[in-house]
Amino acid sequence: MSDMRGEPRGVLFVAGMSHRTAPIELREQLALEEEKIREILGDLANHGVLQEVMILSTCNRVEVYGVAAVPGEARAQAFGRLGSHRGLAWRELEPLLYTATGEEAALHAFRVAASLDSMVLGEPQILGQVKDAFALAQATGTAGPVLHALMSQAFGAAKRVRTETEVGRLAVSVSYAAVELARRIFDGLAGRAVLLVGAGEMGELAARHLVDQGALPLYVANRTWSRAQDLACALGGVPVPFEELDATLVHVDIVITSTAAPEPIVTAARARAVLQARRGRPLFFVDIAVPRNVEPAVNELEGAFCYDVDDLRAAVESNLKERQREAQRAQALLEREVVKFAGRLQQLEVVPTIISLREKLEAIRRAELERALARLPGAPEETRRVMDALSQAIVNKVLHAPMVALKDSSRAGHGRRLTEVISELFGLRGSGSAE
Amino acid sequence: MNVVLFDVALTAYILAAAAAIGSLAGRRDQLAGAALLLTQAGWVCHTAAVILRGVELRRLPFTTLPEMVSLVIWAAILLDFWVERRRRVRPLAAFVLPVVLALGLGLPSGLRSIVFEGPVRSGWVMVHVALVLVGLAALVLNFGGALMYLLVERQLKAKRPGAGHNPLPPLETLDRLTVASLTVAFPFLTVGLTLGALSARGAGAGVAPFDPLALFSVLMWLIYAATLLGRVVGHWRGRRAAYLSIAGFCVMLVTLSAGALLHGHLAS
Repeated sequence: MSDMRGEPRGVLFVAGMSHRTAPIELREQLALEEEKIREILGDLANHGVLQEVMILSTCNRVEVYGVAAVPGEARAQAFGRLGSHRGLAWRELEPLLYTATGEEAALHAFRVAASLDSMVLGEPQILGQVKDAFALAQATGTAGPVLHALMSQAFGAAKRVRTETEVGRLAVSVSYAAVELARRIFDGLAGRAVLLVGAGEMGELAARHLVDQGALPLYVANRTWSRAQDLACALGGVPVPFEELDATLVHVDIVITSTAAPEPIVTAARARAVLQARRGRPLFFVDIAVPRNVEPAVNELEGAFCYDVDDLRAAVESNLKERQREAQRAQALLEREVVKFAGRLQQLEVVPTIISLREKLEAIRRAELERALARLPGAPEETRRVMDALSQAIVNKVLHAPMVALKDSSRAGHGRRLTEVISELFGLRGSGSAE
Repeated sequence: MNVVLFDVALTAYILAAAAAIGSLAGRRDQLAGAALLLTQAGWVCHTAAVILRGVELRRLPFTTLPEMVSLVIWAAILLDFWVERRRRVRPLAAFVLPVVLALGLGLPSGLRSIVFEGPVRSGWVMVHVALVLVGLAALVLNFGGALMYLLVERQLKAKRPGAGHNPLPPLETLDRLTVASLTVAFPFLTVGLTLGALSARGAGAGVAPFDPLALFSVLMWLIYAATLLGRVVGHWRGRRAAYLSIAGFCVMLVTLSAGALLHGHLAS
């Protein structure tokens, strides 16, 4: 495994199961800790079926990426080994596995890294998990040039998807949608005062998100004073008496309401008076309570924006649809990346031959140079240097044409034929081209 | 040559406007990039056209109404660059460029007609023209900002799904842009218009009481004065101020048209 050049030519493949194909009961059995994965990687490498291998194990997927002469055999061996840790037979796992080879495997890897295959489309954690899996394979010595090329391209492609499309940008949770809407109203959230009325879980979460984005200070109002104090303490806010709600509304920017009150707390008349005192500064109500705490008519007032839980859900729905639309753009981008990767792979095909050829000629040069210098024991340093430079120049000139031909042929897609011819002509062994 | 360059600039602005609107509608960053590049290219050609015109005609290149409108466009685009860069109000061009085009396409070919008449070609007139020019350019931005404000406010009030991934700037930023542009425009406009009236009187032309150009100029000034006063004293914000900005801009267009159609000279 350590020397790829001695191995027979392999095929890139991916085999695995994910949230799309396997139930969580099975996935959780295959999700192994790092030490176990390291051990399995070592075993698989020593067995000789896989030339390169890496294992991606998250709560949503268990996948084996590898290079092998016979991917089917490699797949059975890898999952047989993974399953054996939890007493799962290969026969149980096989129907749930998907497999792809070559460019399809590359596209799959790119989709996974760019989070197009994730349960929550565009979630950011998966890229880090893929990076960790690759780092583990590198540390274990089971990642070779093909996986290296695949992963470096996958990381670059994932970054492009993140920056060039909106796949990961839009909020897909109700509490975060409130933050996103606040950004549409205010010129930055830093220093914006927030008032949290009530103690609902979702309201608390929205307040936390706002504070994370720099909103400050956070006031907490509750009909029960001790409850307001506790919550303020937990969130790092300031408790305010419920009776002082109007005065607080005048100087905050964002109000989150989530009380169990049966009647609206903020009526249109109350809001109108508050808005007048605010001298036109906008006020954003996030009403997460059901029944609603803020009268819908408040939204009609100039300078007031009121979103209830249904409005926030609608925004999330729309964001999810937008993410799906963006995923199509991202897919097209990844398909172009696969074409680039195929080009890189073709170039990789000739690299071992180029290295072998250079090494062989360099060995001949050194041997012949030493022999010649042995015949000139008293030769001055200048003569030795000239002879060394001369021999090097000859080798470079001889190498130039075959190197160019190899690179050109790899670009044109028939590098393999030429590597065989060159290996035959120059008597290269273990160049990766000899079957 | 300056006429050819001006046409090239105008063509670049047309393409830039199309790209900017397209980027807004289709949410494509590449189109926004193309719009910026085309606007920059157009502005460089425009600058060259203005300088060349001055050299070719051996006089200041803003002594006719079309030349002045051309310079309003030039300055408005310069301000747009500054605002987009400094305040990160990215899609402003999509709102400013169509206005610029409406002004630019209304110009006579070769910027020929409607020359200053008679003895009003004094130094004060030049100062008047320069001041009004800066004021009007800032008002083009004020109009663009007000339009964007109303659009974003409408989206937020209507709770239209999709408001979350809107490329338009936040409401507050747009409100600040309209205040800032009006605050810049108003003193220039006030001093510029006063100088214009005084120069006309000094030159013996006087200002007729029912002169439509003077009437519209005063009306425009009053609307902007009311908007500014409302903002400072009455704490008007947002929608009301935006409507007034748009009304003021419409009167400004009428004023320029009045200048072009009725008068044939710039006695404003």
